[in-house]
Amino acid sequence: MRNETQVKKSGFEPKILAFCCNWCSYAGADLAGTSRIQYAPNVRVIRVMCSGRIDPTFILRAFQVGVDGVLILGCHPGDCHYIDGNYKTARRIHMLKKMLSQLGIEDDRLRLDWVSAAEGKRFASIINDMTERIRALGPFVR
Amino acid sequence: MNNSVLIIGGGIAGIQAAIDSANMGFQVCLVEKSPSIGGRMAQLDKTFPTNDCAMCILAPKMIEAGQHANIKLLTYSEVLSVEGEVGKFKAKIKKKARSVDEEKCTGCGICIEKCPWKADSEFDAGMGKRKAIYVPFPQAIPNVPVIDREHCAYFLKGKCRACERFCEAGAINYDQEDEIIEVEAKAIILATGFDLYDPTPLREYGYGRIQNVITAMEYERLSSASGPTAGELKRPSDGKIVSDIAFIQCVGSRDVRSNRYCSSVCCMYGTKEAILAYEHRPGTKSTIFYIDLRAVGKRFQEYIQRAEDEYNITYIRGRPGNIELNRRNQNPTIWYEDTTTGETKSLEVELAILCQALIPPRDIQKTASILSIELDEYGFVKTPDGLSHPVDTTRAGILACGCVHSPKDIPDSVVQASAAAARAAEILSGGT
Amino acid sequence: MSDVRIGIFVCHCGKNIGGVINVPEVTEYAKTLPDVVYAEHNLYTCSAEGISSIRQKISEHKLNRVVVASCTPRTHETLFRNACEAAGLNKYLFEFVNIRDQCSWVHMQEPEKATEKARDLIRMGVAKARLLEPLEEVEIRVTPSCLVIGGGVAGMSAALNLANQGFEVYLVERDKELGGLLLNLNRLFTINGKAEEVIIPLIERVKNHQKIKVHTSTEVKGVAGFIGNFDVTLDQKGEERKIKVGTIIVATGAEVLKPVGQYGYGDKSNILTQLELEERLNKGMGDEQNIVMINCVGARIPERPYCGRICCMVAIKNAVLIKENDPRAKVWVLHRDLMTYGTEFEKYYQKAMEKGIRFIRYSLDKPPEIVGNNKVKAVKVYHQLMGKEMVLPCDMLVLTTPLIPHEDNQDISRMLRVSLSEHGFFLEAHLKLQPVEFATDGIYICGCARWPTDVPEAISQACAASAKAVIPMRRGYVRPEAITASVNEDKCSGCGTCVLLCPYNAIELQSKDGKKLAHITTAQCKGCGTCGAACPSGAISMNHFRDEEILAQVEALVI
Repeated sequence: MRNETQVKKSGFEPKILAFCCNWCSYAGADLAGTSRIQYAPNVRVIRVMCSGRIDPTFILRAFQVGVDGVLILGCHPGDCHYIDGNYKTARRIHMLKKMLSQLGIEDDRLRLDWVSAAEGKRFASIINDMTERIRALGPFVR
Repeated sequence: MNNSVLIIGGGIAGIQAAIDSANMGFQVCLVEKSPSIGGRMAQLDKTFPTNDCAMCILAPKMIEAGQHANIKLLTYSEVLSVEGEVGKFKAKIKKKARSVDEEKCTGCGICIEKCPWKADSEFDAGMGKRKAIYVPFPQAIPNVPVIDREHCAYFLKGKCRACERFCEAGAINYDQEDEIIEVEAKAIILATGFDLYDPTPLREYGYGRIQNVITAMEYERLSSASGPTAGELKRPSDGKIVSDIAFIQCVGSRDVRSNRYCSSVCCMYGTKEAILAYEHRPGTKSTIFYIDLRAVGKRFQEYIQRAEDEYNITYIRGRPGNIELNRRNQNPTIWYEDTTTGETKSLEVELAILCQALIPPRDIQKTASILSIELDEYGFVKTPDGLSHPVDTTRAGILACGCVHSPKDIPDSVVQASAAAARAAEILSGGT
Repeated sequence: MSDVRIGIFVCHCGKNIGGVINVPEVTEYAKTLPDVVYAEHNLYTCSAEGISSIRQKISEHKLNRVVVASCTPRTHETLFRNACEAAGLNKYLFEFVNIRDQCSWVHMQEPEKATEKARDLIRMGVAKARLLEPLEEVEIRVTPSCLVIGGGVAGMSAALNLANQGFEVYLVERDKELGGLLLNLNRLFTINGKAEEVIIPLIERVKNHQKIKVHTSTEVKGVAGFIGNFDVTLDQKGEERKIKVGTIIVATGAEVLKPVGQYGYGDKSNILTQLELEERLNKGMGDEQNIVMINCVGARIPERPYCGRICCMVAIKNAVLIKENDPRAKVWVLHRDLMTYGTEFEKYYQKAMEKGIRFIRYSLDKPPEIVGNNKVKAVKVYHQLMGKEMVLPCDMLVLTTPLIPHEDNQDISRMLRVSLSEHGFFLEAHLKLQPVEFATDGIYICGCARWPTDVPEAISQACAASAKAVIPMRRGYVRPEAITASVNEDKCSGCGTCVLLCPYNAIELQSKDGKKLAHITTAQCKGCGTCGAACPSGAISMNHFRDEEILAQVEALVI
């Protein structure tokens, strides 16, 4: 659990963008809230209906405007509300990561993970983990 | 209040029947005795054979039922009497006093946070605690708490009143009384679900005596992310996270001493629970003791095969005779005959789970007499012409679906619920 | 859009938000954002007071976009959208910002950070709201009639339930008679009544029902359209006929596997499947004294891993009937787990044991062996539980085989654009919550076409399918949420990428003025966005989640 004093000491505060799908990960994030599970305040969530909606250009634009890390959270494989949107996401992000590495962007800055609507704790721990990883990498330099 | 379909029981079957009937344009009154709809499915962590999370697929249905214009939810309510006949039933329903005004409450939860009094949580199968003012689980619908007057300091001793003090909406009302509501309906659907066999009488298994022998429902709550240990498989005696588990099937079923019938779903849920144990902690070893491995549904056989191939699960055909306690380390030791080899052996594990049978709800006799319907020899609802009219009870206009009809899994319960709604629709269209 | 007028309502939610986030400060900040002409904060925006304030301010300040910053859209979006609609504002011009479940509740020890986050989230929400466009929900009329494909017990039960509710039903059966598999059965477990006593009255009721039009010797040749408006072509021995229906129920059943090549089936004369035994029992058994049944033939094997669900009961039923006919007969049932699940079946199994039927458990790695040349004389089996090999005299060998999907399921699946599972049976939309619906709206599935099932379950599924079909037919229309995809035909290159990706088969390439263009059937589209994300030409726009809207949110994050 973090508090104001710890935060003031650390300096660089990563800005993380998370795309969450309505049916699973967004619901999981809500559950972290109803369960009052505390996590790092560095993430900003954009809600989409399915992780399959994420066009790689959204991610590139995020880095372009100075976001330090991008997180895509979808339903677990097999559970996608739209049957198989998350499989397509997995393929796209896999390819995008290859491209990003060629541009010299660290692998940890883009993360794809799966959070179900019952995994409030998991959502929080992914946010915390991502925040720390990005903090260690430092700000995204264009 | 004039409703066309009265649905008794707000678990997944009752909810499905309510949504279908409401979507067909009929007025529905859904009565549920606990403070929230959701039923047993809300207590489960994951469901076979997809292992998707129970609450994730249940919650949208609960929200739909809670918000539907044609559905009137009466939670924390019980049916007192039913008179009349098909096409014109009149029911009296007791709406128990929540001590909270549903109109004013905004579901903010401050009262629960500030309440200093606790009680055993029914939702957590007694393995955790809840407050005296509570909602049974975070996604409760309606999201309005209830004061358990038997554990509330105000009702017991006239003290505290913390909830009232902190409620900004002024929703706490200690003077609220039970209300009797009259409902008219053309058809009634019974969907009161099931209870679980209490294995205490099976003394050879040591439930109640050996701490690390628990029931399947207790295990579900332990492994649930929303449960008392936040999903860590900590065994009762010392909180050790277990990695060697035994599951015993047919506890309270296929047994001349208790229930002769087969509970249909336990082979599958036992396997599911073993798979979940491995997922919580890769490498966990599970042994499942069974008689016949009943995996008859879609993708069930593949589920069992994966359990054996990928999840370190061993199936042994043999009903254990005895469980002993190893006092040194609190481990249960299972004594069994492997009937495929004829050998008698013992297996020491860290935790033993009794896969208990689904039994009729404990108050089924009372329900049957209120509705004037007959039960079968096991206490489930009798369907006199089960072959041609699978959801019709012995009384015209009253239908039954889900596990109160007979033990079954979620897809079959959902099918029967829709079937009951279809039969009700026939009745409401002037048919029989 | 310079004439955008955004109104913002920030909720305290009692102390839930207000106790952590500085709501008044955030509201003042919101006022500074471009195009925001009004901002207020409420104790409970979702309360009657809050809702009425929203409605009032929309008209007072001529707001044409509304943003509420409070709890979560998953529970309250409908409420606020309806409030906007009631005030005359298109409900899709509303945007929700989550500053409770995903902000104040999870950063309780860091109020400054939580407030900063709330400001960011509101700025992002406003950025999207600015670009929102009004959307109209399409109302699709539903023809109040249903096509039921398959005239067996499931198809007929569905047809009767629908017809009794007043709907027109076209019941199509490719055989010359209604009845399906039950016409070939002897008796039905567990009461062991005659199958004809169930199926014949059902056929009569169907034939006599005014609302059911029966077409036997007829096949479905083609289906076009979508929910509410299916154009179906029927083919009766070469004669075509077109009908229009609103919904379709698939009840085409399954068939019994003939285990050619296994255990000598087809070579030796005294080997039958359980279905063939039914016929024999109907006519009358001969003087066979030693009947051996082998279960799981062609089931629960690597090539076909599934369990036939009902075959154990079929075998036990026939064993009981044989014993009742001649108590001196010896009947052995060789099995690999007895699937007598539930209350009735387990009892029946016990009754069978009491009648003297012998159950022998064998394992897949030591299957029984047949002894005999032209006829089976004996069966050798390794009794797994006794640990020894036995030789059973046999004058009739019955092979219990599972139900398998019809070969032409493939054709139906293509014709209706519905899915098949890996086993070849039809695949429902959701294994748990939508067991009788296809992912394609308006089409439903029941009976053995979906999975092997017994008569009561088939009838339950048929009624369930009927309930699902009735819903849109009763309402008279369907109004899907306007979150759907649309194609800009000027930009579409006809590459077909979207066609392959759509999980609902809602897109097809159509020829227009010599060009191939993607055409999306709005009625089928669920708005997942997969096509929109993939389109290389940027021709597909996802209503309410357009590229520009999402990008605006991304850009607003760091400003």
